[in-house]
Amino acid sequence: MATLTTPGSAVSAGPGPTPTRRPRRDSGRKRFEIILFVTPALVLFIGFVILPVILAAVYSFYNLPPAFQWSHLADPARFIGLDNYVRALTTPEFQRAIGNTFFILVMSLLIQGPIAIGVALLLNRRLRGRSIFRLLIFVPYVLAEVIAGLAWKLILQPTGAVNATLESLGLGELARNWLADPDIALWTIFFILTWKYIGFAILLMLAGLQGVPEELGEAAQIDGASWWQIQRHITIPLLGPTIRIWAFLSIIGSLQVFDMIWVTVTPAVRRIATESMATYMVQQGQFAGQPGYGSAIAVILFVISLVIALIYQRFALRRDLAGAITRPGARSKRTGVR
Amino acid sequence: MRVFAGVAAAGLAVGALAGCSAGDGGDNGGDTGGEDVTITWWHNATSGPLPAVWEEVAAEFEAANPGVTVEQTGYQNEELQRTLIPNALAAGDPPDLFQVWPGGELRDQVENGYLMALDDVIPDTISSVGATVNPWQVGGATYGIPFTFGIEGFWYNTEQFDAAGVAAPETFDDLVDAVGALRESGSTPIAVGAGDGWPAAHWWYQFALKSCSPKTLAAAETEFDFSDSCWVEAGEQLQDFLGVEPFQDGFLGTPAQQGAGSSAGLVANGQASMELMGHWNAGVIGGLTEDQQVPAVLGWFPMPGISGAAGDPTAALGGGDGFGCSADAPPQCADLLAFILSEDVQKRFAASGSGIPTVPAAVSSLEDPNLVMVAEGLAEASFVQLWLDTAFGTTVGNAMNEGIVNLFAGTGTPEDIVTRMQDAAATL
Amino acid sequence: MSATTTIVTEEPEPREVQTAGRRFDWGQPFVYLIALVVAAVAIGPVLYVFTGGFRTTADLNANPAGLPDPWTLQNWVAVLTAPRFWGNVFASTVLAVSTTVGVVIAGIMAAFVLARYDFRGRQGLYTLFAAGLMFPLTVAALPLTLLLRTLGLHGTYLGVIIPGIAFALPTTIIILVPFLRAIPEELEEAAMIDGATRIGFFWRILLPLAKPGLITVGILAFVASWNGYLLPLLVISTGTLPQELWPLPLGVTQFSTQYSQDTGAVLAYTSLAMIPALVFFLLAEKRIVGGLTGAVKG
Repeated sequence: MATLTTPGSAVSAGPGPTPTRRPRRDSGRKRFEIILFVTPALVLFIGFVILPVILAAVYSFYNLPPAFQWSHLADPARFIGLDNYVRALTTPEFQRAIGNTFFILVMSLLIQGPIAIGVALLLNRRLRGRSIFRLLIFVPYVLAEVIAGLAWKLILQPTGAVNATLESLGLGELARNWLADPDIALWTIFFILTWKYIGFAILLMLAGLQGVPEELGEAAQIDGASWWQIQRHITIPLLGPTIRIWAFLSIIGSLQVFDMIWVTVTPAVRRIATESMATYMVQQGQFAGQPGYGSAIAVILFVISLVIALIYQRFALRRDLAGAITRPGARSKRTGVR
Repeated sequence: MRVFAGVAAAGLAVGALAGCSAGDGGDNGGDTGGEDVTITWWHNATSGPLPAVWEEVAAEFEAANPGVTVEQTGYQNEELQRTLIPNALAAGDPPDLFQVWPGGELRDQVENGYLMALDDVIPDTISSVGATVNPWQVGGATYGIPFTFGIEGFWYNTEQFDAAGVAAPETFDDLVDAVGALRESGSTPIAVGAGDGWPAAHWWYQFALKSCSPKTLAAAETEFDFSDSCWVEAGEQLQDFLGVEPFQDGFLGTPAQQGAGSSAGLVANGQASMELMGHWNAGVIGGLTEDQQVPAVLGWFPMPGISGAAGDPTAALGGGDGFGCSADAPPQCADLLAFILSEDVQKRFAASGSGIPTVPAAVSSLEDPNLVMVAEGLAEASFVQLWLDTAFGTTVGNAMNEGIVNLFAGTGTPEDIVTRMQDAAATL
Repeated sequence: MSATTTIVTEEPEPREVQTAGRRFDWGQPFVYLIALVVAAVAIGPVLYVFTGGFRTTADLNANPAGLPDPWTLQNWVAVLTAPRFWGNVFASTVLAVSTTVGVVIAGIMAAFVLARYDFRGRQGLYTLFAAGLMFPLTVAALPLTLLLRTLGLHGTYLGVIIPGIAFALPTTIIILVPFLRAIPEELEEAAMIDGATRIGFFWRILLPLAKPGLITVGILAFVASWNGYLLPLLVISTGTLPQELWPLPLGVTQFSTQYSQDTGAVLAYTSLAMIPALVFFLLAEKRIVGGLTGAVKG
């Protein structure tokens, strides 16, 4: 799946870079070059990204059998309009799935963010072994989500390492059936996701801290401010753009969570406690043989993602797009080398 | 940069070649005229003694038929049934010989013309298995032949029963008492693989079977008529039974057959006293023990009747596994199928303890005393109802199973189950 | 700082928050402790899986959280001699390399035009690709499978490669365009004056300069493809390819369900599945982390 791999500037350049003027040469030849160069990417993109989403919208209006052919779309008896959508929005399972997905989304922001910022603030100083540290905390991010999920599944099983360790520490009553107890399964999933992605967040924050000029902190220190005051009033606000970018990536990633949930819990636990929008969609559309219904879920997921992304870009990232405040690269980007 | 371009071109070429060759890899179009025929065979045997049996069968068939190669692969059951086969069929690229589930799925497959009709090709094989072939027939034609058929019952640990002072229950009340006694003696009474959904659902099926008259059952299967109150009663009885807390903790996280933590694994390792499961369970349990043998302490008894219920107390829930050929498979596929159902192979199947053979002559080769009991139970049953999710087909079956799992989790009601089934049926 | 140098390979030394000679930083040991804890939590499970590979299943069942006793190599031998593991690696390699090559080629071509040409609809085209970030694979996965079936690509490697390229394009283009924009116009004009065509400029001057950016997007595309699960799940595992030719994420999960009672072997298989990603990460670490760093700073 599309992971949280998009670096910051990618997303902040939402409406596009400022256009430049170039002298025109041979217009027809230029057009040919443009078409030649853009076509492969465009064809692939439209054909395999845009088109399937449009198709999903089309299928969502039909009641389709598991192995359906194009001809089914011509059958008027199969056209059921918005029924799939109504069914989705009134089905408790899907409502739960939406809830679970947003649970992960909100918790990721509330818990991973502060931890990452905190750790980054603490570690933003000359440290021996700093590069090794960077290396180690990034390892979970590099692993495939399913592999991370599998590893944790083995560690968290009722007779696994975690419970055994708790027992040997005398904390046996804390031992739980982490992945099977419906009351805590979602938290367990969230924990594993945090384990996987916190390193990325920490690294991102560390990188963002490089852009905070130390003179400001030093000046405040001379004025008698404590370390925490400096962080709170100077550093963190200046870390704002980075935080907002990370939050955006986190939100988009949370909305699509699939792999982790699919491989770590049994189907029953998933359905009762940890279904996400994506797992519900794949289960219904692919494995329960309801492609039309599954497509409706896909469209709903898409619309939710799109709305959130647009709102976020407009309100949260807007200031960053204008290149405000002290971003060292901002000025040169706009006026420097062009 | 030239190097870069060269590498890029090579990379794309490799990718394209891999794509092409991988796409042609599954060569199974009806290569009837050619010398060399490859038959792809998909089955659900991944553990226990059965995979070895199929391997032998494949090898022997190859030896007896020069020029024929048999590629057999075992897949996990749910994946095979819900994903691999339906998708392969829909893609027009199915294996030649594959597991065919009776009931609703079979009807769908026949409707889509996916299966080879076998009556003219191997009529003797069909008649050799007797009435067990009925669920694999549609409109009078046979599209699959079962190699094993049996009924569901309780696989139990005789030692733990003795320790608790319990005998094999003969009525349902006896069963409830047994659960209590087992708990008191310190063991987990019943293991259920609710994680996979269907093992939990089988409990509801049993209650439905004992509560609903045969006529009601038939009407449900053909017309999706679930109006009879017995369907809700089944759920209520299940709910009452759940109140006795007969199952292991965390049953929602327990798969049915995978690993030591599965319900079969729990029974295999003595961590649960019994499990309600189909006839294949002997083999599965054996495969999960340390020494890969069916435990000597394993016993079997049929589902006891519920006194005062409307259903037939000697009715049994059962099913089997069978194979069929895809419509475009080479004729050697039917030969392979006939070979699998041959008396010799069926005897070996029976002797391996993997299940109950359908060819009557092979039943005597059953070595496992439990399987002999199952076979007897099958013979004594007044009628055998096919697993309900199989009988009703994927759409209704899925909805039904989900509702039952909700009941197990305490988030659904008996009425919900019936409502779900009716809603699902309405979409068909 | 221009855009080209933002994607640097090394981040500069971190700066001190305090000047030298001040009071003793009581926080320093605390900081090391935190760093140690975080690193340990990150690495711990990975190490557990690796050491688990050295244990027999019986040992694992008896003492889940302990060290190997006895140490055994049988799991590793079993997995390394099984053709399916190498088949998985081969499959993943083919898929990832092909996807990466495709992404880089299509991406740089489109980014070049978007970055250095001016034409009507250019902004719209850029926005189109940028909007692709909102089209996650999960949304398109279901109808994609039907599309692939119609094209006869279901169950083939191309069925994973081509959509993989398509879905990696938005990220790639969005990274490359600012990168390419930053290459000075003067270079291009100089090349034109010397009689080179635009395409010649692209080939001879721009591409070498764009190498750091290409490497970054290449790495991202490679890792995304190598770790991909949903697309292979829907396209390959539901097709007729034998399991020996499935990519690693699929192969590992399949192995773990099929041999779930053999915990030792499953841990060994999982460890081995982790190794390519870890090795690759070690080799490319500077680029990946540096790229992240630069992108955020820039």
